[in-house]
Amino acid sequence: MNGYLGRILRVDLSRDRLWDETLNEDYARNFVGGSGLAARYLYDLLDRNTDPLGADNPLFFLTGPLVGTSMTSAGRYSVCARSPLTGIWGEANSGGFFGPELRYAGYDGVLITGRAEQPVWLSIIEGQAALHKAGDLWGCDIYATQARLRETLGDPKTRIACIGLAGENLVKLAGIANDHGRFAARTGLGAVMGSKNLKAIAVRGSGKVPLYAPREFKAVTDQLLVLYKDDFPAKSLRAYGTAGYLNLSHLLGDLPIRYFQVGEHAPADDLSGVDLAEKFLTRNTACHKCVIACGRETHSPTHQDSKVDGPEYETLGALGSLLMIFDLQAVIHAGRLCNLYGLDVISMGVTLGLACELFERGLLTPADTGGLEIHYGDAAMVFRLIELTARREGFGAVLAGGNAALAERAGVPELSATVNRLEVPMHDPRAYLGMAVIYALSPRGACHMQGDMFDLDLGRSNLVEVGLDPGDRHENSFEKGRIAARLQAWRNLYNSLTLCQFENPGVGPLLAAINAATGWGLEAEDLISLGKRIVNIKRLLNFKLGMTRANDRLPDLLLKPLKEGGTAGHVPDMPALLAGAYAEFGWDAESGYPLGDLHQWL
Amino acid sequence: MAIKFPSAEWIQELSAQLNASEAYAQAAATWEGDNIFIILPDDDYPATTYLYINLQRGKASDARLLRSLDEQKALFTTSAPFNTWRRVLEGRLDPIQGIFSGKLKLVGSMAQIQRTPKATYEMVKVASRIDTDFGS
Repeated sequence: MNGYLGRILRVDLSRDRLWDETLNEDYARNFVGGSGLAARYLYDLLDRNTDPLGADNPLFFLTGPLVGTSMTSAGRYSVCARSPLTGIWGEANSGGFFGPELRYAGYDGVLITGRAEQPVWLSIIEGQAALHKAGDLWGCDIYATQARLRETLGDPKTRIACIGLAGENLVKLAGIANDHGRFAARTGLGAVMGSKNLKAIAVRGSGKVPLYAPREFKAVTDQLLVLYKDDFPAKSLRAYGTAGYLNLSHLLGDLPIRYFQVGEHAPADDLSGVDLAEKFLTRNTACHKCVIACGRETHSPTHQDSKVDGPEYETLGALGSLLMIFDLQAVIHAGRLCNLYGLDVISMGVTLGLACELFERGLLTPADTGGLEIHYGDAAMVFRLIELTARREGFGAVLAGGNAALAERAGVPELSATVNRLEVPMHDPRAYLGMAVIYALSPRGACHMQGDMFDLDLGRSNLVEVGLDPGDRHENSFEKGRIAARLQAWRNLYNSLTLCQFENPGVGPLLAAINAATGWGLEAEDLISLGKRIVNIKRLLNFKLGMTRANDRLPDLLLKPLKEGGTAGHVPDMPALLAGAYAEFGWDAESGYPLGDLHQWL
Repeated sequence: MAIKFPSAEWIQELSAQLNASEAYAQAAATWEGDNIFIILPDDDYPATTYLYINLQRGKASDARLLRSLDEQKALFTTSAPFNTWRRVLEGRLDPIQGIFSGKLKLVGSMAQIQRTPKATYEMVKVASRIDTDFGS
């Protein structure tokens, strides 16, 4: 089975059992890998009664067919389960080296069920898996956990995915960290891992991924290395990381400010990725086989932080402009705290943003917060609230439930900045109207990784061959809805191949790489079809979990026009945009249910 | 009367209009760098042409046509075929979209460009207001 190891490790924590299962070849052929393949597996294992934090919620770590090969950008892995934050399909993915190492250790993925009686960690070394007591690791932050496990195993190159305090405490904003400070951050899957009493997974191996046509594959991947040398988006990411987008984002109205209610604010430019690189960057970091190295390792002298992973653009927005904090060092420190405790910076920031807004409106008072005064621009309070959240202490126990729960508790659900209970990332859909479709239809709730209209309409993608031309970001039309849906299919394919979305070699080279790896003989249009099938399986699963067409919406907050900035006056025309997207996906206009031949894949 | 693009008159008009624009002065207040715009031949334009303009802290100066790149060095060069420039000046191609997609090939300080994207937008906005003769 070329492109795959052909093995899934099954772990039943309740029974302390480990066994190998042959990868379902039909599933892999039809749903590729990563979140698509996980959705196909979990379609049979999840239903409305599955408790996201119960023993019956399966937690699936999965790679894609190119992961661990010489393909640049193929270093990611996905984690999937029913989300405790949203109640629907949960997926997150992360770069680094964990995904490739899992494959070198002999597995395409690890499917975990049950709940251990006591905290454990899982080792997968050269095809041999074992569970170990994790009593002394419980309570450690993500960095200490990784360091101690590497020391225990006596191998500094062991790759580890783990949770921090937030995951242990079942905080619904908890992610899973790997390779120091990389995160499968979203949808609260760290809490699922915590609910299973599983602290960490350590992987190490020396195996190889079997390829259908190794020579042709190498020719393609060599060609890609040259491509990224002079590519402008790649050069920008190398120099300034994702943070390099911040000033342009501010100009275009894409950067949320003051909890999505201000379109322009001059101090926001002080969060510039250029300044970050010039003043606080220690070094670039890269994932497996990546030639861009967009990762940031920074420092914050004011806060005595000598080594911090990030901040990313999303961190600068969520823990910066959204909260009216424009001090780079403060944002670096807030990001570091989230990393230490294992929290999703987006969900944490957007939840804190709502807390500031509620306080401003008098809907939250010190009587509700244990005496805390929560105001925009108060970095010290943000540091404190992050820690309280991770520990579930005081008002932190409320924040631990996320933005939607906080809005409901305050009696103002209309102030929630979530789609299907997942906090909205730092791309305002009023700036790129196609993002309204991406968020509303994203299988995991508001997510910018399910379709990056900001990249497409900025010209940063390279997808004309599959009908994805850069367009007018303020176009509000049926056709824009179609384009957004097509892009969502494309990125769902990426998330199933578990490729990094920052490397866009174009359809031809990607197709050549997939075919040389797997021998599938796909054509360009097949890639979009595969992507649509993956979106559809996730949608069917979400319908099975209780979603309906009524869930395809944006929060009220993002449907109000802003008065100033690059998005002034623009709001998405949801009926027109969604109609286009439904048509592109082939969904019933009334029910939103996927039509066509999908059921043959189930 | 429309001014032919590309030409010495056109780049001088751009310089004059930039100096008259308060919005540009504000947006480019921190911008420091001279530019050479390279217009490459295509089906509608026969020869490579170089337009030079010095842009310093919101003000423009020394706008002229160059005979070659040997005549003047600049911190930034931006090159594209004639019809791509036309699309930018007619508002049919967003300049940042053009740069990211490689349609406009930009060489120069990335820090300057990424920190002050508004300067680029305002310059193009001013250029778009020039009554331009593209020859067809």
